[in-house]
Amino acid sequence: MHNILGVFFLLVSLSYGQTKMQQQEIVILKAKVKEQAKQTQTIASDFIQYKHLDFLTDDIVTSGKLAFKAPDLVKWEYVKPFEYSVIFKNENLYINDEGKKSDVNLSSSKLFKKLNHLIINSVKGDMFNDNEFNIIYYKTGENSDVHFSPKNEKIAKYIKQFQILFNKKGEVQQIKMVEPSNDYTKIVFENRVLNKKISDAVFAH
Amino acid sequence: MRFLLISSFLILISCKSYPLKNGFDQPTKKVQAVVNPYFSNENKDYVYKASIAVYDKSFGGVFIVKKLAPETHRIVFTTEMGNKIFDFSLYNDEFKINFILEELDKKLLINILKKDFKLLVKENIVTSEKSIQANQTLYKTNVANKKVFYKYVESQLISIHRIGGVSNKEKVNIIFSKKEEDTAKNIQILHQNIQLNITLKAIN
Repeated sequence: MHNILGVFFLLVSLSYGQTKMQQQEIVILKAKVKEQAKQTQTIASDFIQYKHLDFLTDDIVTSGKLAFKAPDLVKWEYVKPFEYSVIFKNENLYINDEGKKSDVNLSSSKLFKKLNHLIINSVKGDMFNDNEFNIIYYKTGENSDVHFSPKNEKIAKYIKQFQILFNKKGEVQQIKMVEPSNDYTKIVFENRVLNKKISDAVFAH
Repeated sequence: MRFLLISSFLILISCKSYPLKNGFDQPTKKVQAVVNPYFSNENKDYVYKASIAVYDKSFGGVFIVKKLAPETHRIVFTTEMGNKIFDFSLYNDEFKINFILEELDKKLLINILKKDFKLLVKENIVTSEKSIQANQTLYKTNVANKKVFYKYVESQLISIHRIGGVSNKEKVNIIFSKKEEDTAKNIQILHQNIQLNITLKAIN
């Protein structure tokens, strides 16, 4: 019986091409990502976002550019099919919606502050906090796929799981935010450039 | 006495029917089915960049409509970054909330959205009156005891108007423009009695 179960699980994991990591591998990955995050002063990258809603025929595809500057400046800029950017700066969000500018102060909302903090951290990949998440580590070929499930119930109501795909260097390749309904937002990074000077003007509103 | 005359005159003016107020002919009673084609294709995902202005605040997002079966639609609004703001299912007169942000979970707001969206996606409408002005036709129907008018130019639906009780004043106007086949690339949902306006621009 155990053998049958064993074969079944083997087949399941093979079909996903994914196996759980050994403790030793986890230690190495964490060290790599932490070191990578520490060395990262800036990130400039293109991204493609896929919004998956189960009832739709196709995912909604949007794309744009990400700029990150240590310790915590982030600009998400959508270029296609609409122009929209949001800058995370101090406790504010600065939005430019097709030329219409506005800002949102997050200091009154603990939840949104936390969610934004998570988004910033996920860009660097450094979210290995066992107090905040139940973490499961998988490997898929040379890549690592780490699933972070928030322990905070309020956050879990919005995002059931962050799934971050790291390449062998420990860089973030892809972020998937899965909602409780299993609908998700997947962001794939391309042309990622590290530590190239990014002017402060990029983060000006 | 003069006051009484003036006020009766005002009442008479304000009671003038919506078609007459807008320069249409005297309506003729006729039962006729009309169609709103703009969310009628089950094979199509309707995706719009939305901008919502409430009082002095304005925020954007992505507005998604999908027809799942006859008279059955799903309507979802997310932020640009993909986080859901609300997720509703509409089936004939039924309305189900699959998700709504806690901050927006207010009965009054949900009721307004429910009425707006039902009007927006309802495909087959049985009308009871018809009036004409040049190449425009106005069809009247009743939705939950409120008068609703569908305006067509030739055979193309250009707007829907929900009208208030005695005053015959417009409460909500839905305007379809930039039409391509059976899709309206631009849609505006404009409230006349509250400061809530929704603008939709197709992105797919």
